[in-house]
Amino acid sequence: MSQPILQIEHLGKVFGRARGFLRKDSQKEAVKDVSLDVNEGQTVALVGESGSGKSTVGLMALGLLAPSSGRVIFDGTSVVDLGGAERLALRRKIQVVFQDPYGSLNGRMTVREALTEGMMIHRIGTSDADREARAAVLLEDVGLTPEALNRYPHEFSGGQRQRVAIARALSVEPKFIVLDEPTSALDVSVQSQVLNLLRRLQRDRGLSYLFITHNLAVVEYMADYVCVMSKGEIVERGGIEAIFDTPQQDYTKGLLNSIPSIDPEARRLGA
Amino acid sequence: MSDLAPVLEVRNLRTYLETIRGRAWPVDDVSFDLHPGKIRAIVGESGSGKSITALSIMQLLPEPAGFIDSGQILLEGKDLLDLTWNEMRQHRGHDLAMIFQEPMTSLNPVFTIGNQVAESVVAHGGTWEQGKKRALELLERVGMERPELVLRQYPHELSGGMRQRVMIAIALANRPKVLIADEPTTALDVTVQAQILSLMREIQKEMGMAILLITHDLGVVAEMADDVSVMYAGKIVEDAPVRDLFRSPQHPYTIDLLESLPARQHRGQDLAVIEGNVPAATAWPAGCRYANRCQYCIPACTEGEIPMVTVNGVTDARCIRIGQFQRGGVKA
Repeated sequence: MSQPILQIEHLGKVFGRARGFLRKDSQKEAVKDVSLDVNEGQTVALVGESGSGKSTVGLMALGLLAPSSGRVIFDGTSVVDLGGAERLALRRKIQVVFQDPYGSLNGRMTVREALTEGMMIHRIGTSDADREARAAVLLEDVGLTPEALNRYPHEFSGGQRQRVAIARALSVEPKFIVLDEPTSALDVSVQSQVLNLLRRLQRDRGLSYLFITHNLAVVEYMADYVCVMSKGEIVERGGIEAIFDTPQQDYTKGLLNSIPSIDPEARRLGA
Repeated sequence: MSDLAPVLEVRNLRTYLETIRGRAWPVDDVSFDLHPGKIRAIVGESGSGKSITALSIMQLLPEPAGFIDSGQILLEGKDLLDLTWNEMRQHRGHDLAMIFQEPMTSLNPVFTIGNQVAESVVAHGGTWEQGKKRALELLERVGMERPELVLRQYPHELSGGMRQRVMIAIALANRPKVLIADEPTTALDVTVQAQILSLMREIQKEMGMAILLITHDLGVVAEMADDVSVMYAGKIVEDAPVRDLFRSPQHPYTIDLLESLPARQHRGQDLAVIEGNVPAATAWPAGCRYANRCQYCIPACTEGEIPMVTVNGVTDARCIRIGQFQRGGVKA
């Protein structure tokens, strides 16, 4: 078995502030004692409904949100209390793709700028021309043409924009990508293209994914290991067969029973 | 198929939108029937024209850009397109009601839930007394736990699922004959979706109304629909009873759509993809609009109007090569 590249240990996050002068207690425990490992080259799915805390775990894994308790260890080093240079080095290794690339790509930056900005920050490439050449290769890698370099995010369709967001994440040559609902805003025919792309990139580059989603069909197709979250906690975890065929927890069973069946002969919601 | 006469018949509907890129035809010669007590799904991806079809029926097209060019929308035989704006208002919310994807934008944030549910009764001739009484009944009917409390609450105090229940209550206020539901559960979590779909089905059985369900989700279609119209680029490309559609899809687009769904049996393999893009609604190509993305395309596909052909006696599909292939490839 390969080494865990990401280890999340007893992670907790409390939002809001405790009771104080003229202040009601507004604390909310969004994440409670979450532990999980992601092995190299593996896809671990974090599934749950809105408010389950799955995206909060993703943000903490990225080092974009400080945990209230517990720690995140990436490649042997703790993510939580890093200094500037180390933090920068970490950012290069962990990247993220969000649901809505319209929101995550800067609308005033061309694709060239979006793809080369990270390279400049991380001193990848020897010159502007070299970085542009790398960006062109990345675009071809995600199924776009180098002509896209001069275009702005709004000029693309949703699927193409998500490809640009994936190319941007890849531009700093990460080992690990947090995918937060990467296909939830896409049509199914486009979703299949993006999923194929993610699988190919994983194969070719040995990437590890933390795949955050509410879409259980996608999980069943993509994931090696599944953690089911509810109300800030992981309530059940296991491989695809364990979770989908022999779920143990009532919450997981309820979740699975709510998925509409794709077979009209096997309706779940009462005939 | 139901023996009853259809409650809603849409005939050769064509709708256009004036856009900055010219005149777009998102609904281009759409026809279907909706029978009492039945659910018809219109399924399609973004840009297929499914929502504009729904808005055309309600005559709630975006103003000032949207216009119905031609066709008929017959509600119990009466053409809604012959009505004046005021006459149409009498139908909207009365025998023809609609719910939308995002209940937060359909509800008025500054009025209480009770007020908004009662208003739909008052708007169609009831008194406020009657309205309030009916509002309580309706909120109970749609499964609100404490309806008296909800009457006094404002939309922001409710969860997404609760807000959608309120929308359903408003839609049901006047016992409509036809309920148009445009992506009613798309913004909801899957467990809440299951509750709302079950509620819709229950109420539909109880009241015997017809539902036109607009969705992009084939799972929702398989769960809910009796009949299905698959829309692509402004046209219905396939029309079939739900079992036939999933068991033996006929149009290449329907086949490709079903094949592209992720599932466990495809693990480790690439999913089927649909290459290319939907053509622009401002300049539909001649012939089949799926031709540029279709693996079965032959030269004749891009010439002239493609007619609907009936296959196996139940499925209508808009394809000249119909019956020559099936899910999984060309027939031997």
